[in-house]
Amino acid sequence: MTFPLPSQSKASNAAVVMITSSAIWGLLAAGLQTLSTIQLLLPVLSYFAPIPVLDYGHLAPAVSFLLIYGWITSGLLGVLMILVPRFSGIPFRYGRLLTGGAILWQVGVLSGLTGILGEGGTGIPFLPFLRPVTCIFLVSFLVLGTGITRGLGGSWKSGPLLPRLYLLGALISFPLGLGTAELLLRGGTTPGAVQIIVQLVWASVLQHLWLSPLALVLLFQLIPAMTGRATSSLSLGVLAWITTLGLGGWLSNTLASEGPLPSWLQSAGVVATLLLFVAVLGNGILLQPLLEGKMEEIKRNVALRFMSVGAWSYLAAYGWLAFLALPGVRQTTVFTMTSNTTQTLLIFLFWGSVLSGSVYALLPVARNMGWPSHPALTWHFWFTTIGAGMMVSGYALAGIFQGLALNDPGVPMGTVASYLRPFLVVVLIGQIVWWVGQMAFSSLLFSSLLKLFPSTAPMAVFPSENPASTTR
Amino acid sequence: MKSTQALAIVLLSLLLTWAGQVALGYFQVGKLEPVINEETNLREPPTPSGLAQTGARVFASEGCLECHSLSVRGPSGSPDLTRGWGERRSVSRDYLFREPALVGFSRIGPDLSNIGNRIKEPKDLMMHLYNPRNLKTTSTCPPHPWLFEMKLAGPKHESESLPIPRKDWKQVIPTYQAKALVAYLQSLNLNYSLPEAPLK
Repeated sequence: MTFPLPSQSKASNAAVVMITSSAIWGLLAAGLQTLSTIQLLLPVLSYFAPIPVLDYGHLAPAVSFLLIYGWITSGLLGVLMILVPRFSGIPFRYGRLLTGGAILWQVGVLSGLTGILGEGGTGIPFLPFLRPVTCIFLVSFLVLGTGITRGLGGSWKSGPLLPRLYLLGALISFPLGLGTAELLLRGGTTPGAVQIIVQLVWASVLQHLWLSPLALVLLFQLIPAMTGRATSSLSLGVLAWITTLGLGGWLSNTLASEGPLPSWLQSAGVVATLLLFVAVLGNGILLQPLLEGKMEEIKRNVALRFMSVGAWSYLAAYGWLAFLALPGVRQTTVFTMTSNTTQTLLIFLFWGSVLSGSVYALLPVARNMGWPSHPALTWHFWFTTIGAGMMVSGYALAGIFQGLALNDPGVPMGTVASYLRPFLVVVLIGQIVWWVGQMAFSSLLFSSLLKLFPSTAPMAVFPSENPASTTR
Repeated sequence: MKSTQALAIVLLSLLLTWAGQVALGYFQVGKLEPVINEETNLREPPTPSGLAQTGARVFASEGCLECHSLSVRGPSGSPDLTRGWGERRSVSRDYLFREPALVGFSRIGPDLSNIGNRIKEPKDLMMHLYNPRNLKTTSTCPPHPWLFEMKLAGPKHESESLPIPRKDWKQVIPTYQAKALVAYLQSLNLNYSLPEAPLK
């Protein structure tokens, strides 16, 4: 069992605010997502009790917002606030300020959620909230990001390079991207056709230059620490990092087919997606040897199990994106539920699994605690992984059938919708299963933090415990 | 690698990402102008009314884009034109006056780029918003009754009220939001020719 440094407790209060809020937002998002899927399956329900707050058009953007800004971003920032002082050896200062920043982020999420449910979203992908919420997020990030950056800058030469590189890229991409998108989309001077380009760039930046790199920080820092192995090739890792940074911002152009987006941008999006998959395979080559032959450890250590699922899902998500970008496939699958498959792969299986694994590995370090029940951790793993797997397969099949049907003009729209139903049932079951898993996790988290039960499954990893992880 | 080198690479990549797409995109499609129709001497695409611009925000806030797209493809490689969603494909110039400019990424329902031309009567659009199954019994679109208010029927029938028989002596009157949304939907009309996308 590891005891935190006294200075660490300053950051850990802020981290706990972020992680516990993340668990609550995740639970709420999954509940609302289930409601929205029920409405898609049984549209007649909305005729019995039409309530604007629970209407599909309000629920769907609210769910997406909660998952991205509430669950994933809060959670990942929370675990990084534990990790960065550990790998840098530089404790955070101004603990209260950090906690204030963490609380402010949650105020932003709450304001965004009430705005979307009450007044509706803005229709802009990944920017469904109004300008005041953007300001709240930017101010909060200024506080949290500055704290994390300080640790990063002060320790550049003292630990593994790859996590630091991804962290640097992510920390700069998010505020610059959000600020630029806000100015260009709501500044009132950008012509309509250019707004669409900006929306797609922002969607790419948020997913592939902010959230995916954050998850990669944790994969490249924690898997070596947990397995006692170091990544084999720094040059390959740096090449993959440069490729990710250079191409990540172009990926969402494949979401458009013809229409207002200039055709060269669509082609560039296809090329970027295919090339980025090569970089992702490069990272896969680095991650695979870390986990090879570690099956027993993966079975025993739930944190490592989540991290391995996260690593494999990283490959699967970008492989799926590359598949969808292929010209023949893109024409058929654009505007279908295949984009829900991508989102589910990224949010629930890649970022979500990395987040869960990191919480299990790092929170005990910060709070000097263990987990109350090992079987409950395992239930959390199986429920969330199986649930997410069902969602992915349901959406993928629904999207492919939807695309084939949409491309046959002889199939009426009503029939296209009816083709989706069997697959949406699978998705719905998956969402319920995932929700049960998240409920198990939330119960574990709160009972551990409140020390309601004796710890029976202590689990704590932090990099300085393991010399192998410091290989550059 | 030094931290300054890494920082330079990050900043350069972000610059290339934004400038490469937004700045180059701006030079290509940001300076487009409407064209003058020689027969009518009107600008195309037409500037939407203020009511329609308000309606665009209602359209976005009601989450219509969760199921409908605003981009017609074709004629090759896509059956959008055969489905009757438009008489030509959508191009950048069509989005000139859209604020916010939206495309949508889902087609659970039909594309709405040309809905103003497909459903010409505002009352039909109102009826659809109030209860989509009034017009099509199998519609999967949810109703939006909160965009309407119930008023006790007076001695004179209000011209704006929807032709829906009710037993409680009330009339269904569209709110300002419903009128704005209908004005926006009517402004979604691709029934004009552009040099880069002529009508069939």
